[in-house]
Amino acid sequence: MTRLADLARVVRSKNAGPTLLTIDLLFDTPAQAARAGAVLTPAAVSALYGAPARVIAYPPGNAIKIVMARAIVAGDPGDRDVYGAQQHALLLEVPV
Amino acid sequence: MTPGLRVLSASGQLGFGIPAAAFAAGVARAPDLIGADMGSIDPGPAYLGSGRMAAAPEMARRDLELVLLAARRLGVPLLIGSAGTAGARPHLDATLDMVRAIARAHGLRFRLASIAADMPRDIVPGARPLGAMRAADLAGTTHLVGQMGTEAFIRALDAGAEVVVAGRACDTAIFAALPVLRGYPTALAMHMAKIVECTSLCCEPGGRDAMLATLDADGFVLESMHPDRAATPLSVAAHALYEQEDPYTVEEPEGTLDLRGARYTAVDARRTRVDGAAWRPRARPTVKLEGAGPCGERSVLLCSSADPAVIARLPDLLATVEATTRELVGAGDFTLHPRIYGEREAFLLLECIAPTAARGLAVLGVLRQHLLHLGFPGRLSTGGNLAFPFTPAEVSAGTAYRFTVYHVAEVDALAPLFPLAVEDVG
Repeated sequence: MTRLADLARVVRSKNAGPTLLTIDLLFDTPAQAARAGAVLTPAAVSALYGAPARVIAYPPGNAIKIVMARAIVAGDPGDRDVYGAQQHALLLEVPV
Repeated sequence: MTPGLRVLSASGQLGFGIPAAAFAAGVARAPDLIGADMGSIDPGPAYLGSGRMAAAPEMARRDLELVLLAARRLGVPLLIGSAGTAGARPHLDATLDMVRAIARAHGLRFRLASIAADMPRDIVPGARPLGAMRAADLAGTTHLVGQMGTEAFIRALDAGAEVVVAGRACDTAIFAALPVLRGYPTALAMHMAKIVECTSLCCEPGGRDAMLATLDADGFVLESMHPDRAATPLSVAAHALYEQEDPYTVEEPEGTLDLRGARYTAVDARRTRVDGAAWRPRARPTVKLEGAGPCGERSVLLCSSADPAVIARLPDLLATVEATTRELVGAGDFTLHPRIYGEREAFLLLECIAPTAARGLAVLGVLRQHLLHLGFPGRLSTGGNLAFPFTPAEVSAGTAYRFTVYHVAEVDALAPLFPLAVEDVG
């Protein structure tokens, strides 16, 4: 079974400001990006993260961007990830 | 317009060690401008809230000395944005002091401009919260800054500044100001700035090495100053995604950069040419506002458990001892935020936010002792539920801060908000 971690060249997460989280998936070819895009519907990503997510295809970079609100403002007491750089892991095992 | 304006991006995070070899290679290309970004909101609210710098002073001095000496040797402007991490008055002053000290030590003479980014508080009520930001808390705000745009840097350059140290600034403004001033299209200048502000992060493989952009009237060429990093059409295009909400649109104080028409073409294996972006000026400029302030004293309890029975019910056990603790120490003035990491052996980090450090340590001491010896059905490990890597296992982690403002305000004019001060050094 191929997982997203096998298909993608980059799966990275990062804050876009302290209230938004953004996850970028970069692929080597448009076909790979399309294959992942078929699985990463907004509904599927929202279900995985338990939060409403936007999914934006970005053909110039063979990429897919996911954007969602952070559950907690970056750096607030209780935050687990101030930079938001370790929020990609849920995607790694997704079968494509 | 000068043909072939060369912009050298020295650092996306000045103060953490600019790689010297790539920077020297960039300086050897005789750039028309050296720019460096020194800050960000990314490291969290502590720096803005406290007025402290994230970078160690000795590293900040080292990097400032590197770029200052090179810029003065070349006789080209040095532009530094978001001074001292968060770009509020204390950060700006600390950075200016370093710049003056370096100038004295090396006998440098130049015109130094500083641009403050501290905002008047009355700008906040009319501003709109960004994303899921809560209502602004001005009473809880120690420092309130706004992100300046290119106009502030242009004012400083117009005033004859050879070195500009700016408070909180858009990363793009640092690198776009001189090209805009020299008559290059704003769309190209902004798009170029957006890419080079992270230095060689737009390359394959990405890195922190200096990046050179060469602008002409129709486009710009990107080249890493590290020979092993290649700016490819794909790596450069993909960089548009980085830390952005929308890969096609970049909002700036003075307008919107539209990347839908952007084209990325290989010049050779290591260089990419970019053109095609569009710029839509905004009728009324906007300023992104950032505020932060303290929200209590932080203490943390650090311990672990290797007992499967404890690990399986750790959240329940924590709830039980939290109730016990609240009964014993009084309930109201602290919050507890446990994080449990791992499965075979679980690490527990329990954060307590309390009015004083002593109060937080008292809360965690009681909680720790009760969690250590809490009985539960099926318990085998009656010697204790926890392992402590050291004692005391509760440590004070200093004052806790939170963002109090993350808003955007529409304003009549940008210039009055970002006052310029010019001095002749040396």
